[in-house]
Amino acid sequence: MGTMGLALPWDVRITQQHLQRGRVDSPETTSGVSSAAAQVSADDAALAAACQAGDLRAFERLYQLHGSRMKSMARNLLGTSSDAEDAVQDTFLKIQRSIATFRGQSSFATWSFRILINTCYDTRRGRMRKKEVSQDEPENPEAAPRPEPRAPSAHPSLKLALERAVAQLTRQQRDVFLMYEVEGMRHSEIAGVLEISETASKNTLFQAKKNLRQMLEAPRSSAAEAR
Amino acid sequence: MIIDCNDRERIFLDGTPEEWAALEAHATTCSACHEELTAWKNLSATASEMHEEWNSPALWPRIERALAEQSVSAKTSRWERLLGNWNLTSMQWQTAVAALALIAITGTALWVGVHRNIGDPFVGSLLKDPAVRNVEKAEAAYEQAIDKLDAQARPQLEKASTPLMASYREKLQVLDSAIADLKSQAGINPANGHLRRQLLAMYQEKQATLEDVLEAKQQ
Repeated sequence: MGTMGLALPWDVRITQQHLQRGRVDSPETTSGVSSAAAQVSADDAALAAACQAGDLRAFERLYQLHGSRMKSMARNLLGTSSDAEDAVQDTFLKIQRSIATFRGQSSFATWSFRILINTCYDTRRGRMRKKEVSQDEPENPEAAPRPEPRAPSAHPSLKLALERAVAQLTRQQRDVFLMYEVEGMRHSEIAGVLEISETASKNTLFQAKKNLRQMLEAPRSSAAEAR
Repeated sequence: MIIDCNDRERIFLDGTPEEWAALEAHATTCSACHEELTAWKNLSATASEMHEEWNSPALWPRIERALAEQSVSAKTSRWERLLGNWNLTSMQWQTAVAALALIAITGTALWVGVHRNIGDPFVGSLLKDPAVRNVEKAEAAYEQAIDKLDAQARPQLEKASTPLMASYREKLQVLDSAIADLKSQAGINPANGHLRRQLLAMYQEKQATLEDVLEAKQQ
C-alpha cells in the first residue's frame, strides 16, 4: 500500500496532555476501583432491565450516557454527522427490538455498541450496493457524498490524512483503533464489543498503529517538496 | 529499569507505565527511539482529535418518537399474528379448533369420571397411591363385615343337610375361591379399577348369599 500523499509532520509540537495520554489497562491502574466497577455493573444491569421492561426513560438514560460516544464512533465510520445520527437512531430501534435476547453475558453498554458498529457496517454495505447500481448511470455530483467539514483543529491536513489512512485499515483494526484511540475505550470494553480477547485487542491496535505509521510516513523527498 | 531499542515494540504493544517511563528516558539519548516514540504518540494525539461532539437537540426526540411507534406496532403485530392469520376456512384454524374441542371434552370427561366416583370406595380408574390406600381400607372394612356375617351363618350351613343349604355352601365356596383369586390379582395390580369392581361384585354376591342363609335359618 502506498502512502497517502500527505506527510505527517511527526515532529509537530504536541500538547503535554496528549503526551501523557497513553493508557495502560494494567492492574495498577484498575486496582482500588472494584467497588466503583461493581456499582457501574449494577447500574448497567438496572438500565438493561428497565429497557427490557419497555421504559422509554431508560432508553433516554442510555442515550445520555453513551449517545455522544455513539455519534462520534458512527461519524468516524460513516463520514457525516447526518448518517451518524441515523445510525444511532437505528441502533436504538434495534436495541428495543432485540432487548429480549440480551442475556447479560456482556455489559449492556458493550452490547449496545456492538449493535451500533454492526448498524454502521450495514449502512456502509448499503451504500456500496447503491454505488454499484448507480455505476452504469451518468454521474450525478449531487448524489456523491461530500466530506463534511469538521471543527477546525491545529493540523487539519494531519487529521484528514489519518482519517483516510484509517479507512484503509482492515475492519477489525479500524474498529479497535477508533474505539481505543478516538473514543477512549479500554481494551476490556473493546474485547466485549468485538467479542475478542483483550490480548487480541492489544495486538490489533498495535498492528493498526504500525500500518497507519507506514501509510502516513511520506517519503522524505516528497515531504520536502511539499514544503 | 534499563531498557534498549529492542524493547520498544514490546512496550508499544503492552508496556507498563514504568516501562513507558523507561522508554522515554532511553529516548532522550537515542534518536531512533525518540523518533519512533514521538510518531507513536502523535498518532494517538491526532486520533484523539477525531473524536467529535456536536449538539443535536432534535435527535433524542426523534429517537423517542420512533421507539414509541415501534413499541406500539410491535404490540399490534403480536395480536395480528395471533388473530389476523385465523382464516376461518384455513385447515390450521380448523385443526386448532378440533384440538381445543378434543382437549375440552377429554378434560370434562376425566373430571366427571373422577368426581362421580368419589363416594364409591372400589371405583377409580385414575387411582393414585393415596386413592389405592383408601380403596384397600374400605375393602378391608367391608370384608370384615362380611366375615362377621359369615361367622353367624356358618353353623347353619355346616349343620344343615337340606339341598338348599348344600347349594348355598357350594355357592359360597365358589365365591370364596373367586374372591381369593381376584384379591391375588389385585395385589399384583392394585390400581386396576376393573379388578376392584369385580371383587366388589363378588363380595356383594357373598353378602346376599349369607343374608339368604340367615333368612332361611329364621324361617
